[in-house]
Amino acid sequence: MRKNDSLLSKLDWPLFISFMILVFLGLATVYSVAFNEEHPSIFAFSEKYGKQIIWLGASFFIGLLIFLIDADYYSKIALPVYISVLVLLVIVLFMPPINGARAWLGVGSLGVQPAEFAKIATALLLSKYISELVVKFQTIKTVLTACLILFVPALLIALQPDAGTLVIFSSFLFVMYREGLTFDPIILGVLNTIPGIKFKSTWLGNHFIPVLFVFLFLCIITLFLSNVQFHLWGFPNNTFQGSTGVVLTLGSISLLLLLFIRRISSKRDRPRMILVISLGFLITASISLFVDKAFSGLAKHQRNRIELVLGLKEDPDGGDYNRNRAMAAVGSGGALGKGYMGASVSSIESNHVPESETDFIFCPFAEEWGFLGSIILVATYLFMLLRIIFIAERQRAPFNRIYAYCVAMILFYHFAINIGMNIGFAPVIGIPLPFFSYGGSSILSFCIMVFILLKLDSQRIDVL
Amino acid sequence: MNIANRKYIIVLFILVIGVLYSLRLFYMQLIDDTWVLRAQEIAEKRKEILPPRAAIFDRNGLKIVSNKTYYNLMFIENNISRLDTIAFAKLLNWTPIQVRERFAEIKEGEGVYRNKSSGKKTPNYQKKRAYPFLKELSLEEITNIALHLDNFPGFYEEVTSMRSYPFSNGANILGYLNEATRKEIDEDRFYRPGSNIGRSGIERFYEKELRGRKGIRYVVTSAMNNPIESYANGKYDTIAKQAPGLKLGMDITLQAYGELLMQNKKGCIVAIEPESGDILAMISAPSFDPNLLVGRRNIGLNYPKLVTDINKPLFPRPLQAEYPPGSIFKLVQSLIALQEGVITEETGFPCNKSVVGCHNHPNASGVAQAVQYSCNPYFYAVVRKIIQQRKSKNTFTDAEIGLNLWHSYMNSFGLGKKLETDVSGQRPGLIPDSKYYDRIYGRHQWAFSTIRSISIGQGEIKLTPLQMANIAVIIANKGWYIEPHFVKSIGDGGPLPVYQKKNYTMVEAKNFSAVIEGMRRVVNEPGGTGSAARLKDMMVCGKTGTVQNSQGEDHSVFIAFAPMDNPKIALAIFVENAGAGGTWAAPIASLIIEKYLLSKISDRDKEKRIIEATLSNFNKP
Repeated sequence: MRKNDSLLSKLDWPLFISFMILVFLGLATVYSVAFNEEHPSIFAFSEKYGKQIIWLGASFFIGLLIFLIDADYYSKIALPVYISVLVLLVIVLFMPPINGARAWLGVGSLGVQPAEFAKIATALLLSKYISELVVKFQTIKTVLTACLILFVPALLIALQPDAGTLVIFSSFLFVMYREGLTFDPIILGVLNTIPGIKFKSTWLGNHFIPVLFVFLFLCIITLFLSNVQFHLWGFPNNTFQGSTGVVLTLGSISLLLLLFIRRISSKRDRPRMILVISLGFLITASISLFVDKAFSGLAKHQRNRIELVLGLKEDPDGGDYNRNRAMAAVGSGGALGKGYMGASVSSIESNHVPESETDFIFCPFAEEWGFLGSIILVATYLFMLLRIIFIAERQRAPFNRIYAYCVAMILFYHFAINIGMNIGFAPVIGIPLPFFSYGGSSILSFCIMVFILLKLDSQRIDVL
Repeated sequence: MNIANRKYIIVLFILVIGVLYSLRLFYMQLIDDTWVLRAQEIAEKRKEILPPRAAIFDRNGLKIVSNKTYYNLMFIENNISRLDTIAFAKLLNWTPIQVRERFAEIKEGEGVYRNKSSGKKTPNYQKKRAYPFLKELSLEEITNIALHLDNFPGFYEEVTSMRSYPFSNGANILGYLNEATRKEIDEDRFYRPGSNIGRSGIERFYEKELRGRKGIRYVVTSAMNNPIESYANGKYDTIAKQAPGLKLGMDITLQAYGELLMQNKKGCIVAIEPESGDILAMISAPSFDPNLLVGRRNIGLNYPKLVTDINKPLFPRPLQAEYPPGSIFKLVQSLIALQEGVITEETGFPCNKSVVGCHNHPNASGVAQAVQYSCNPYFYAVVRKIIQQRKSKNTFTDAEIGLNLWHSYMNSFGLGKKLETDVSGQRPGLIPDSKYYDRIYGRHQWAFSTIRSISIGQGEIKLTPLQMANIAVIIANKGWYIEPHFVKSIGDGGPLPVYQKKNYTMVEAKNFSAVIEGMRRVVNEPGGTGSAARLKDMMVCGKTGTVQNSQGEDHSVFIAFAPMDNPKIALAIFVENAGAGGTWAAPIASLIIEKYLLSKISDRDKEKRIIEATLSNFNKP
């Protein structure tokens, strides 16, 4: 009995409660979307909500088992789990394709997608590898090894093909960044060949991963704006292309930062700060202009595809059908939504929004609960993500911390891409919304992921 | 740099995405209404429900226009799965080739969109839309098919309503319905492709009163365009409402009898209740069964036949045939002359056949006798006195003044203009004024002698039979008329106020007695031209006319009212190419009067002769 009490008291309740809120809202939404008048009971196992309950039940049962296993064990089983998942990923490639992808193992509703579990296995092994390093996680050999751990399952998943899960694997780059991944050796290697220059470290090399993502983000923004023409107040006859707009905006921000330089930096840092801001502006501005030029230099059909993915071109009934319908569903929710079970665009029987119980499940939720519900959902996810990072940072064991970061980044990717594609901010990539979307494999894998984290966290004190 | 600080960058990333998404959701769901509209466009469909058109009743409350339910066999191509063409064709008693041809026909023909600017037609067939495979099936026809429709997914039945005429009479009054044209659809949002609109007669004039209020149902539809459920539990739905019935002044029994009398003849009968202006019957012969023009199938089949029929059954003679009135016009001339004081009731003129031909009769010693004998020279003299009143020393100027005075008298009788009433499609007829003759002869180049044939209702004068009947109404009422009209009341609304106003002519009541006496003599005195209209139990007043016709035999005209003291019916009969007015038109008038006022026929031989007669110019099919 003492042991149970201690388990409950050591459980991270904020994380567990936010997790339970999402599970509950998800189940309610699946019930609403897939509701069948002939089988109204939520335990109707012929219906999707009944099946979802089975999967959740199985998840919680496995969760119980997880709590019975000692936390130490997870780093030990990391490699065997990783290898078994790799075997499954190979086997699955010989299965008959369903919807054009060899992703399913087993038949019908009992099928599972090994790719979902590959995320956990990779997270465990990556955590184990990095945490057990005796050298800093900065040498080329260690970085390459870590990348290899990601690359093998990613390659097998790419062969299915499953672009969505493949994208998710890049989330581990952020974990590696947090653990000290640096590109300094490469950058210094190049820079220090120039005579007279002897840098010890560079800002770019240190923060290469976030910079890379900011760079990608900037490219996308520039493309978004490339067809937009700006009118500047006071210059009614002057129109500016999108990229010019980006450059002007960045310029104004930089100028503001320089004007208030006293406020944001100490006297000692000031020259460096001015240099960083000016250089940052010059680099981003030239990137923006370069992307714009490069884009207009592309062949027409390539440009078409990019424009469609970015929503620069209207094709509501053709190539852009899914996104258009999804956005109509979300946008029509209004402030308070159409009421529970009141979705008209995204209900399954209306079939306007495809996959509204899986990848597009945010649609019926946002349509039925409106802005109020959507903002609560977004806030819950944000709270959960930040809580996991908080949990990660309080771990004594590096393994626990790295694993927690893996969970945080995987969930963040799913959240950002899934909701992003529902609101027109991300291209349509078929990945589930964690704890929400209908589907055995995703529910199981996300729950197991969180339960392992809770277990590790509950035993953080025991780690010496 | 401390690696642990990198967590802040990661937290920043998460927060930036979170804030960005929140703002985006705020904009999409609260500010921008594009997506609400888009969602409506995608999922919410307005389903319009047409109420059945209002019924139409005759003056005695008999339902003369009602609705009958028909069925369309609809299909949505997207919902059709593996159609067994052979079995389907067998169900319809068709050949599989016919089925295939019908599909092809629908795909090419239905929903054709015509580009306004280029005029180019592009087919707009859509696989997710519903189209009628077969239209206007009867209950028996659909029952046989509907029983087996479960075997043919994608097909379903749809109820429509169409007009039905329990009495197969009055087609020319009631008019017919036809599918609205593209232009009508563009002008009035009430109509949709395939919806019906009143094309002629009462159906057209009272279109807005008859069509009722459309019901609108908002439904949520699936991507396959099938309705799934009602939107917002029907909060915004409106119920289709049938308009209240129209009550006509027409007596359907009389109308039917008139059509029977006029069979195998060309011409018309217009009967009006003088007191109210109600049109009791308006027969345009040859007439046709209104049921022939119900629905697309029937119209497609029968309309071409009716149009090409050499006897022109679709030509609304009572309204549009402009005939010279002949001798009946002498009544109006007398009234004007008496009112102007250029003659008195006792003024006599010799029957001077050197001016104009006449038949043998004693000299008329007064208006009544002149009417009785229908003396042509007499009315030359009378009209000369109206036109040339010596108001100017110049004969030509005098004639101009006189003719314009005469013209305004005629206008006050409702002649030379369209009557302002629900009888749509009228022609105005022709009553010439000075400008008219100025155009022909030049200003001041004409006088009475130039235009004298107007005296006896020949020459340029043209009247429609409706106007002729209205003359009878005016004489029966001694000086006034209510615009002749079809509809008495709408629903429980009581008599229509527009048809309460008496239009007074420029002739005072006291000047009518001599003319009425003359009309009495025409029918009831020996030597009167209208003795064939004489009735034993009723004093009928009438006037015959024989309209000279350069293209063939003279037209036979008769206007009358009865009973003399308290007139209940006034009428005009016009029988084309039937010779003298007394021979055909007068007996028909008497039968109509008898039928309406006494509900019996005293002279069965007369009735038989009329019904069985086929006039020589009538082309039997």
